[in-house]
Amino acid sequence: MRALEPVPDRAALLSLAVAGTIAVAPYALELPIWLVLLFLAFALWRYAIERWSLYHPGRTLRYALTGLAVVLTFQQYHTLLGRDAGLMLLIALLGVKFLELKRYRDYRVSAFLFYLVILGAFLYEQSLALGLYALVAVLANTAALVHFAAPDELSPGARLRLASGLIVRALPLMLLLYFLFPRLHGALWALPDKSSHALTGLDDTMQLGDINHLAESSDLAMRVTFEGEIPARRDRYFRALVLWETDGRSWRRGPALGDTAEMVPRGPPWRYEVVLEPSNRRWLPALDLPFGQPPQARVRAGFTLEHREAVRERLRYTLTSFMRYTTGELTERERAAALQLPDTISPRTRALAKEWATEHGDAREIANAALTLFRREAFFYTLTPPPLGADPVDEFLFGTRRGFCEHYAAAFVTLMRAAGVPARVVTGYQGGEVNEAGGYLMLRQQDAHAWAEVWIAGTGWTRLDPTAAIAPERVELGSEAVRRMAAAGRPLGVGPIADSLQGIEIGIFERGWLTTRLYWDLASLGWYRWVTDFGPERQRELLAALGLERVSLRGLLSLMLAAVLAVALIYALWLARNRERLDPAQRAYARFCRKLARAGLARAPAEGPVALAERAMAHLPDKRAAIDAITSSYIAARYGSGGRIALSPLRRAVRAFR
Amino acid sequence: MASAMEDDVVTLDRRSIYILPTRAGIVFTGLLFVLLVAAINYSNGLAYGLTFLLAAVALVALLYTHRNLHRVRISAGNAPPVFAGEVASFEVCLSNSGQTPRVALRVEQEEARSGARPPWRMAGRMQVARVHLGDGETTCVTVSLPTLRRGYLHAPAISLSTEFPLGIAHAWSRRVMLPTRILVYPRPAPPRPRLAAYGGGEQAGTAAARGGDDFAGLREYARGDSLRHVHWKAVARGQGWLTKEFGGGSLGVQWLDWDALEGLEVEVRLSVLTRWVLDAEQVGELYGLRLPGKIVEPGSGEAHRDCCLIALALFGES
Repeated sequence: MRALEPVPDRAALLSLAVAGTIAVAPYALELPIWLVLLFLAFALWRYAIERWSLYHPGRTLRYALTGLAVVLTFQQYHTLLGRDAGLMLLIALLGVKFLELKRYRDYRVSAFLFYLVILGAFLYEQSLALGLYALVAVLANTAALVHFAAPDELSPGARLRLASGLIVRALPLMLLLYFLFPRLHGALWALPDKSSHALTGLDDTMQLGDINHLAESSDLAMRVTFEGEIPARRDRYFRALVLWETDGRSWRRGPALGDTAEMVPRGPPWRYEVVLEPSNRRWLPALDLPFGQPPQARVRAGFTLEHREAVRERLRYTLTSFMRYTTGELTERERAAALQLPDTISPRTRALAKEWATEHGDAREIANAALTLFRREAFFYTLTPPPLGADPVDEFLFGTRRGFCEHYAAAFVTLMRAAGVPARVVTGYQGGEVNEAGGYLMLRQQDAHAWAEVWIAGTGWTRLDPTAAIAPERVELGSEAVRRMAAAGRPLGVGPIADSLQGIEIGIFERGWLTTRLYWDLASLGWYRWVTDFGPERQRELLAALGLERVSLRGLLSLMLAAVLAVALIYALWLARNRERLDPAQRAYARFCRKLARAGLARAPAEGPVALAERAMAHLPDKRAAIDAITSSYIAARYGSGGRIALSPLRRAVRAFR
Repeated sequence: MASAMEDDVVTLDRRSIYILPTRAGIVFTGLLFVLLVAAINYSNGLAYGLTFLLAAVALVALLYTHRNLHRVRISAGNAPPVFAGEVASFEVCLSNSGQTPRVALRVEQEEARSGARPPWRMAGRMQVARVHLGDGETTCVTVSLPTLRRGYLHAPAISLSTEFPLGIAHAWSRRVMLPTRILVYPRPAPPRPRLAAYGGGEQAGTAAARGGDDFAGLREYARGDSLRHVHWKAVARGQGWLTKEFGGGSLGVQWLDWDALEGLEVEVRLSVLTRWVLDAEQVGELYGLRLPGKIVEPGSGEAHRDCCLIALALFGES
């Protein structure tokens, strides 16, 4: 076949280069940045060759550059396989390919491979933002393909419109495929290790002053969606770790304690779903106290949940908790662990505790004595406490008296143990922000908190939060309010809670920004549920909700194909409907005919305007004049010399016709 | 089949459009498979999404490709006669009665006409033009064929095809055979010496009369009269259009006679006669054509010449 195939011009090259750049740009965050620059350089080089008729590199040089791309990749990763090396090689070779483009066929192949590049970026991140960005990249790439199929016919705007039309129409089909295509478990081949870079979050060791670095971080830690209402802020304690062991300076979990006390629920259950951000740690925060555990997690002593492996990707789990409970007797090992104190505890600390122990005797009263101390004496809550030395608890209690949750928790538990009351430090998240848009709770790193639990005969382990005694704002108003008050230089724990919020109101712009952030977070959660986390289990849930509980793999595939074909058929019919073009006179006359039809005078297929007019005038004698005027101006506009001049009387007459 | 195909205006309906993936389309399908494997392997929801989006885009693009040809109207335009050996040009008009533009249509013609074949296959395709039809537009393209023989030449089968919008599917129409035909006159022979050419028959030796010295009178100008014989002085004087008549009776009429070319082959005779007709017309004389079974009465002018040429072109055809 002889073809008059047009030769690609500079505009086509530009389309391809733009699409490629958009596709490659996200890799600047993941792969060496010079790779993206190299890609751009090749695209610009080819463009310069076309623009200024520069020397076009010969085959030898092109082969050398291809070899160089391979060598560079190998040098970077010591392999050519796997995610990073594979994508790097792909991008580098697509760069070199710019020098080899000749016919539209080559352009098309490059554009196809850009789709693969767009997909590659998802292997690093699956965020909503990247998803939206990818849609733009797909649009640019599709518009480039349209360009190659119709090089001269369409303007860039028309190409973009056409490509968006294709994508918009593809979306319903895509959703059908997306939800109905059978999701499979497991990988077809070994996956690369996920990166385990350090992430901000709670640590399993508490060193006094540690949680401080979290106070500044508004990174999300977890989202919690409750079945029913969200508990009050002061009840929202999510425990992550129980720290038993201390050397006087730091607190650790210590060795596993085996079987622990049973929990007996004493109130209504709270059911909720947690979406935990990657933490690189194994613990799963749970509302005090969890009952049961999610699959692939186990319960550790102290009612904390531990995942099978470190959480490197977002994790979704559902739990039931009871906020009112009692716990059973302590085992010997537990009691020993809950009373452990190093010898380095200062004598005056021990003396203070002893004094309370002899004075009260009852564990609850001893604890109250300690809380009263914090409240009565000049203790202050601050996020920027002075540094502490070798015996931090002693220095804090008798010296600085400035600190935040973990100072108070550590000092309190030390005092309790010294007084012979079993106690332990609990860390986790407290408070959080309700996302009104989505009706769920967002807990950020700044909500990280430490509190204490003491064992009281009769009730068992009982939560006591010394921070609430010294700075009730932290528990009643949340970490954000505390941060604002601190920024405004206002002291905590001095006035009534109700007055605390005065003077730290937020402005309209900030409020708008915060609201936007809430909606974005809601979208991100939805995105997580329906995109990132949409695996075999979620698909089963969805199908069950649609009444397809026991559908076989083959059944699901048939359903998918049938649905896709049905939609495609509807499209085919709708696209074929390409309306005949009517000129304005015909349109106006058609309107007149519709009005006549409503009066029972439908136009016969072969009936001319004059015949129709005669029939109409016979039936509607009182409208003779109008019918006659319309018919004659239609004939003048359409067939006569009247043309456009007759058009406006025609339109007016039709509009007036009743 | 023929009657349905040989309408003056052919509108491509659903049954006359075929569609298959192009090579690029097959590559694209392979790419989709690679994307799907990556999505499954990495259990990556977003990758699934992209894969299915592209699959859906390809499907919709297929429908767009089909629509690009659907209801395009093909009709025959001018088809002026030519002499054998020249190139015959058929005008083919494409019109878009719909509102959606038809983008990047390729018009192809059949290279060789050969026996019965399915309507979706042509014997060799040759691209003629690329056409863009906007909202309600009509565009005509020229389909040309070399001519070898005199007589009627039928327009070649044509077909429209398109790979718009993504180049992954190729849609083409059935072979459309428009009823147009071009009349091919015999190829004019090289100029021959006149005396020899006019030798024989009753008109032998009339060169002097043909010269036109023998002025016979004036008559009303009639359409088709040679402009050389117009009595220009009379026109200039405002006496109206008059034509000078030369010779007298049969003496001034040149009979171009089949029998004068005794001994030559049929086609050669026709070629020579064609040449004579052209020469006689150029000189501006009155001439008639005598063929076995067909006589064109003497006359002159382009209409008369065409009459003679048609008789020559169709000589021997019923």
